[in-house]
Amino acid sequence: MQIDVPPDEAVAKPRSRRSFIFLGALAAAVAPRRVVAQAITRRPARSVAPTGRFRTVAQMEVPPIPAAWRDNLTRLLRRATYATTAVELTNARKTGYQGWLSQQLKYSRIEDAAVNAAVAFQFPLISQSVDQLFAAPAGTVQGQLQQATLYRAAFSKRQLYERMVEFWSDHFNISMAKVGYLKVVDDRDVIRKHALGRFGDLIKASAKSPAMLSYLDQTQSRAGRPNQNYARELMELHTLGVDGGYTQADVSELSRVLTGWTITGKGLFNFDPAGHDWTQKTVLGVTIPPGNSTMGQEGMKEGEKMLDVLINHPSTAVFISRKMLKWLLTSEPTDTQVNIIAGVYRSTGGDIATMVRAILNDAWMAAAPARYKRPFHFLVSGVRALGASVTSADPLNRQLNSLGQPLFLWDTPDGFPDSVEYWSGNITPRWSFASTLSQYASSTTVSVNVTPYMGVGLDVAIELINQNIFAGEISPATKAALRTFAATGTLTDARIRETLSLAIASSDFQWY
Amino acid sequence: MTDETIDDSEDSGCSEYNALSRRQFLGGAAVAGASVFFPAWLPKVVLAETYASTRDVIVSVFLRGGADGMSLCVPFGDPDYYTGRATIAIPRPDSTQTATRGIALDNFFAFPQAMNALVAPYTATDLLVVHATGQFNTTRSHFDAQRYMEVGKPADPALVTGWLGRHLASAPPVRTTAPLRALGLSAGLQKTLVGGPQTLPISDPANFTLGGSATTLNDRLAFLRGDYASSPEPALAAALDATNTMTLLRSLNFTGYAPANGAAYPTSSFGKALRSVAVMIKADIGIEAAQVDIGGWDTHAQQNPIAGSMYNTMRDFSNSLAAFYADVMQGAVGYNVTVVAVSEFGRNARENGSAGTDHGRGTVMFAMGKGIAGGRVLTNGWPGLAKENLESGQDLKVTIDYRDILSEIVKNRLGNTNLGYVFPSWVPTVRGVTR
Repeated sequence: MQIDVPPDEAVAKPRSRRSFIFLGALAAAVAPRRVVAQAITRRPARSVAPTGRFRTVAQMEVPPIPAAWRDNLTRLLRRATYATTAVELTNARKTGYQGWLSQQLKYSRIEDAAVNAAVAFQFPLISQSVDQLFAAPAGTVQGQLQQATLYRAAFSKRQLYERMVEFWSDHFNISMAKVGYLKVVDDRDVIRKHALGRFGDLIKASAKSPAMLSYLDQTQSRAGRPNQNYARELMELHTLGVDGGYTQADVSELSRVLTGWTITGKGLFNFDPAGHDWTQKTVLGVTIPPGNSTMGQEGMKEGEKMLDVLINHPSTAVFISRKMLKWLLTSEPTDTQVNIIAGVYRSTGGDIATMVRAILNDAWMAAAPARYKRPFHFLVSGVRALGASVTSADPLNRQLNSLGQPLFLWDTPDGFPDSVEYWSGNITPRWSFASTLSQYASSTTVSVNVTPYMGVGLDVAIELINQNIFAGEISPATKAALRTFAATGTLTDARIRETLSLAIASSDFQWY
Repeated sequence: MTDETIDDSEDSGCSEYNALSRRQFLGGAAVAGASVFFPAWLPKVVLAETYASTRDVIVSVFLRGGADGMSLCVPFGDPDYYTGRATIAIPRPDSTQTATRGIALDNFFAFPQAMNALVAPYTATDLLVVHATGQFNTTRSHFDAQRYMEVGKPADPALVTGWLGRHLASAPPVRTTAPLRALGLSAGLQKTLVGGPQTLPISDPANFTLGGSATTLNDRLAFLRGDYASSPEPALAAALDATNTMTLLRSLNFTGYAPANGAAYPTSSFGKALRSVAVMIKADIGIEAAQVDIGGWDTHAQQNPIAGSMYNTMRDFSNSLAAFYADVMQGAVGYNVTVVAVSEFGRNARENGSAGTDHGRGTVMFAMGKGIAGGRVLTNGWPGLAKENLESGQDLKVTIDYRDILSEIVKNRLGNTNLGYVFPSWVPTVRGVTR
């Protein structure tokens, strides 16, 4: 039998990550000042008149930035919140760039009682124990977690924290279609607890999260019949990254280390010594000596030791840093940027807040290209920009399904995609949602109040749209076109709502 | 069979596709002229000199999760299949367990009962099963494996477009005025289609509208067309295609559609998607390709292809495809359509301790259509399931690269001879897929 295997495709070409880490670290060590200087000179030159709305000059290294986006504090807010409201911007002008960032990173000190009270009142299930959750109807549990997430993203003053909750919810993706109410506990005790804490604490909590262990079949894994699903994704998606230097043998061995990690009852973590494989294993060059079942809970330390190995592995520092840079700054971070943030990871023991602060520095922010909003981000930003009052988030949650991002229901462990190639084609549902949103006028569900735009004259109304929806940085072309549309006929309630819907549907509003 | 290399004399894409970085893909494109069918961010390619006059519509299906080929098409003639799968093996066709035993396709392979609906197209020689196929790259990561397969080349971070997208970009439109040449039945565009001109993700073609007042609809569409005119690619092309497609899809009757030949589509999302595709094909609006996904194949635990979880997934798959076959391909008007179905990898030959299977290598793929030389299970010699014949001692070997199958379809059914562009650096071997 003949099998035609071209030699260059028989195995994946190694991407020499190690070499660039070394070179990058060297560059950072030798010339840190130069790095910053470069970043500063990349600040968009205001003297250059852009030809279109987006700068598209040939030497552009990254996706473009709308030309009207000039103020760096506004950029920070656009990037670190779910839409820059006029109120938030006014507050941030008082504290300044660093002051606002510090405030947001010390999120627990931000007074948020109104939102907490509303969440506790509307969505009581999400703070309940597994026993109580187990007894509740699955559909209700799922709806409450989805709606609470939406509500917090829209109204919490801890905006940067909510953005990081979204990030980790994808990084540690779990589908409620498989695990149901267990995800509520994961959201509360893993993701929200550690979203701006230490990565090590986060991964350790996740590794003992009943939701994660059932989602990735770890609960099925026992001595003599290990299941590799969790062990693989723990390295591929949660820590080292697919090119992080592990082999299929490491996957197999790690799955044996983790045998016995399971759940008990209605969903509590449990280490079962009887299900643990006590023979010797070697993972990533670390040998774990054999033991026996009389050692009981000691067997769990094997897995905990491997978690520490993963947390301290250089590939993890790079993988997590790159992914956070992509989320917060640019879809194409440079190796230099990755190395700098990986350095912060190593020197702070994976302190997420410090990494976020380093990523959102004003020099990098000034050169950060626009990112394309995902449907959840788009929907929430629309709600914020229109100042909608939400008595029930149920209609919004249903709309999110139509937009293609039903929360906590992405099947596979990689989380929802985050690329313009994936999402930008699905534009018609966004336009349709913009129309639906602007029409809401229900005191029992969602309501958009258009009174401020009424009777003030066309120019004032358009300028209000600029301030409320575009943070004062509307493009001249969009402004003129909205004005033309609004000026057709009289400025009735209906015409204002349609004008608002077009502002939300506009090109610039899809980016942040 | 004799192996014969397809003559794709010009490997025109090679140097050019390498230059197509993601940066160019996103960056320098706002100058795209609306009249050319190449987006500016795609490299220009040399079109093949001739095209078949009646090109098939292609429906490309991705079984996401790594589908167990040994449950989808059971190698009952290999005794080691039964040795390795104590609880999840499909009984032999000559077994006394009449309700659960396999349905023989030949003297070696069988469909499980769950795939019963596909026996008809198989018997009519319109369905081809390819076994011990997949990709030679050995990754067991779902996400890498899916990306490599959809892109059509393994481990090349510089290549960002999909094979079907590149096919569309290197073939003239069947209908020059068509606003929509291809669609992904999905909320986001699948990688397979990235790079295709006039290509959109549309999760529900029956509900593709702007909403709001009909009186102001045209004014609002005009605003959007103007406002997106300076968007960066690929947002610009998507917006323009969307405004054009909206009017088109509104004119089709999705809800009142009556399938031909008594075909009954399942109400699953896969069944509904194929039904929508059938509506669009029959409306003859210039659709050339559709990408449809079906998930649920990552069967690490409680796989049960006999009566449980995987049985249900296979049943949805086969019933939906069988309905599509009856509706679109059979009868007086047989439409020129080819269906092809792939999965990123197969599963271990032996079951694991959770009555499931972990990530493996070789699996099956399917091709269906009047132009497909079906009615058989195509192999390149069954590699065998004895331990010494398994890859890494655990997996069915890959003996046929999936691109061999796709290449023949692209060349002979889609009429595109520019294989070096569609599948860069792959020299396909003819496997006799098409008639």
